[in-house]
Amino acid sequence: MNTIPLEYYLVVGAVLFTTGAVGFLLRRNLLVLLMSIELMLNGVNLTLVAYNRHYPVNHGGQVFAFFVIAVAAAEAAVGLAIVLSFFRLRKTVRSDEADLLRN
Amino acid sequence: MEAFKSQFPASNFTLLAVVLALPALGAFVNGVFGKRLGKQGVRFMALAAIGGSFLASLATFVALVSRTGAHGEGHEEAKQAVRLTWSAWHWFSLTGSAGQSIPIDVAFGVDAMSAIMMLVITGIGFLIHLYSSEYMKEDEGFHRYFAYLNLFCFAMLTLVMGDNMVVLFVGWEGVGLCSYLLIGFWFLDEKNAAAGKKAFLVNRIGDFGLILAMAMIAYYCGSLQWTGIEANVTRLLDPVKVWPIGNLSHETLPGFLANLILPKAPIQVYAATLVGLAIFLGCAGKSAQMPLYIWLPDAMAGPTPVSALIHAATMVTAGVYLVARTSFIFVLSPAAMATVAVTGAFTALFAASIGLFQTDLKKVLAYSTVSQLGFMFIGVGVGAFSAGFFHVFTHAFFKACLFLGAGSVIHSMHGRIHDTNRSQDMRNMGGLADYLPITRWTFLISCLAIAGVPPLAGFWSKDEILWKAFADHVTTDKSTARLTMWTWPTWLGPAIYWVGIAAATLTAFYMFRAYFMTFHGQFRGWKVVKGWKDHGHGHGHDDHHEDEGPLEGPAPRESPPAMTIPLIVLAAFAVFAGFLNAAALHLPALEPIGELLAPIFAKASLAIGGRPDGEKLEHLMMAPGLLAFAVGGGAAYVIYAQRNGAPERAFAEAFPRLYRLVYDKWRIDELYDATVVGMVDALADIFTMADKWIIDGVIARVSAALVGFLGTVLRAFQTGRVQAYSASMVIGLAGLGWFLVRPHAAYSIDDKAFKASGQLTLSAAPGLGYHYRWTVGDSPPSDGRDVTVTLNPGESKEVVLEVTNAFKSVAQERIPLSRSQKPTVIQVGGPGSDKAPAQGGSR
Repeated sequence: MNTIPLEYYLVVGAVLFTTGAVGFLLRRNLLVLLMSIELMLNGVNLTLVAYNRHYPVNHGGQVFAFFVIAVAAAEAAVGLAIVLSFFRLRKTVRSDEADLLRN
Repeated sequence: MEAFKSQFPASNFTLLAVVLALPALGAFVNGVFGKRLGKQGVRFMALAAIGGSFLASLATFVALVSRTGAHGEGHEEAKQAVRLTWSAWHWFSLTGSAGQSIPIDVAFGVDAMSAIMMLVITGIGFLIHLYSSEYMKEDEGFHRYFAYLNLFCFAMLTLVMGDNMVVLFVGWEGVGLCSYLLIGFWFLDEKNAAAGKKAFLVNRIGDFGLILAMAMIAYYCGSLQWTGIEANVTRLLDPVKVWPIGNLSHETLPGFLANLILPKAPIQVYAATLVGLAIFLGCAGKSAQMPLYIWLPDAMAGPTPVSALIHAATMVTAGVYLVARTSFIFVLSPAAMATVAVTGAFTALFAASIGLFQTDLKKVLAYSTVSQLGFMFIGVGVGAFSAGFFHVFTHAFFKACLFLGAGSVIHSMHGRIHDTNRSQDMRNMGGLADYLPITRWTFLISCLAIAGVPPLAGFWSKDEILWKAFADHVTTDKSTARLTMWTWPTWLGPAIYWVGIAAATLTAFYMFRAYFMTFHGQFRGWKVVKGWKDHGHGHGHDDHHEDEGPLEGPAPRESPPAMTIPLIVLAAFAVFAGFLNAAALHLPALEPIGELLAPIFAKASLAIGGRPDGEKLEHLMMAPGLLAFAVGGGAAYVIYAQRNGAPERAFAEAFPRLYRLVYDKWRIDELYDATVVGMVDALADIFTMADKWIIDGVIARVSAALVGFLGTVLRAFQTGRVQAYSASMVIGLAGLGWFLVRPHAAYSIDDKAFKASGQLTLSAAPGLGYHYRWTVGDSPPSDGRDVTVTLNPGESKEVVLEVTNAFKSVAQERIPLSRSQKPTVIQVGGPGSDKAPAQGGSR
């Protein structure tokens, strides 16, 4: 059976992660930042699952991916709450306005 | 009695624990729970504690006397000083000068001198507690007051019962603390708090001397127990070089300075002199002698019963007690003895002169106390230890009685005058004899006692001291002396005697001046109106009334029985206590105290010699003492009772500056301000400048600027933008990742076996997924982390380490090894390099 080689998955995962990282660094909209984080997490998840498929010894990769998904859900909930309260405070969702601690 | 004796053997006399524990318990309960106990509860607790302690002291005294009798039957020589001791626990140990261990125990020992002090402390203490329970009735700090008072009794008992100097010192500091707390009892008034502080600070100077003395005694005698010090006291006859100190000599000093300050021969004194002077410094602080007496007059800021107990009857006599206790040290040093006696004589006269013109009743009594303490030091200074100590005993009664009488007068003055200064001013009193009969009679009796009228207590003790001062002095055994010792000049004794007579004359004068101004003539406090009633005004309004014109008020009232009973008891003792040691009568039945004390001072008294005609002079020498009373008392009667103080006012007008000078206490306080206090102030100013300019100005500013600069730099990185932080995180992670992906051929060399066999073990640094390959010289490569290389003398080898990581990247490190002809030297890094690195490699 022809299987897709591991490297393809890894490349897709790396592309997803890089997209997310670059997006996180460059964009200023907090909602977009949250989405970028999701993208990075998904890139990592894809890598973990791909490794797991090729080395399915104890399915540690899949277990780890589930953890990441659960943490990502929690992170999204907390992150959105923070964004919401930040919006109430500053009437904006731009990340460079979030500098209350600076001065 | 036998059952009692077997219950309490002399070496484990546990009754002392009861004497000590009761006041401590009272202080604890009143201090912690006093507020909730209520005034009746506090009063009961305090009186029960000190009363129980008194009964236990009485039992101790009886036990002591009964044992003395048993020992002393038949042969006088075998009479030993009886000691009842009780050792609570081992406290700590010191290492002596010979390397031996000096145990310091919390131990208590009682001989006749301690037992008499215990009776005075607890007995007079009980009377004053009783008196205070009435005097302080209105005070908000009632429970606090009694907690302090009980604590004082505990500390004072510790002082007199301590079996070694360290326990004595604990009590010594304890009474100082309580004195401070009670002087500043009404601490809301700045003046009172300052008086407390002054007492505390001046006492510190004295305590410094006492600590020094303890250190020297521990060094020379190898013990701090009284019995141990006495046994080894002759070791204090070691000469000590006091000048030049250290290694100052003609070699270490520039020539002109050496000629100026170095004597031809080093100055040496006996250690006993130094120890005696150091002890006396402590005593001068505690017992208010020149020049450290200045705190005692200010200490009158405390409640009057406190002045009676602490600053007249007990604490201030601790110094006399200590000199008497260490009499065996003092007799070794005539110079120290003379210092004590001369200081005492000078203080007696000087303080008495200040007392002449004081208008504050309590101040008169305070200077009188300083003066009487001077008499006590004359006694112990000339070697009349029994007589000096006996004056402590009699003085406790009549001076406590005088203070309590003054308190009673002030209490009645408070019926209309609430200002502290005005209610104690004798110019506002007068004619109180009709209103306060009990106070008046007890005050008069005590005045007669302190002025030395026979057969009252003061006569027996004071004239004994003065006669001994005239006749006796300490002698030195020249045959054993190793140094030329200072000897007591023959004129000194008579000089002290006549100074004492002068002081006694002044004493009689100012005491009767106080008596006549307070109790005779017209009442000057306010206009007595029959049936006068307070119109419901609070106390705060009285100040306004006083400004408006002559004050009106009720007749001053005699104090209630709780205050007059102690007065009567103390006055009775002031009359009769003298017969406990009326040595001049030469009747054994009338010298019980002298007999009890004799064994304690037996050894010290051997050094005391007298004039050959001393015995004959004993009764003759009383005549000037009586004359002193007649002159002083008579002058006071003429000036203050007959002529209402007019001559004093005339004197004040004729010599206003002299009058002011004496009234202002010879301006000694101002002298202190200008010298000692001024010096400390100047020193403080210098330190303030140093603090301001060096610490704050240079050190603080420079370091602040440095930190500020670093902060400015680092602040640039703290943009507050999440992306900036995450970007640095990403860069850091990428760098770390790159480092981990590259292989690193690092190694370390183990040359433990090199000397023996010429073998070196090289180990490659570990890494995840690494694969190692070693090539030594021309031999085939080997795998594994370690490789062993053998080098012979003069041989060189090149070792190559190849590391391959999981990504198949390869790193290589060449390690040249060489060994010189000398068999023990190895060179790593090729010939010519003489450093042998333990590890290396490229990264």
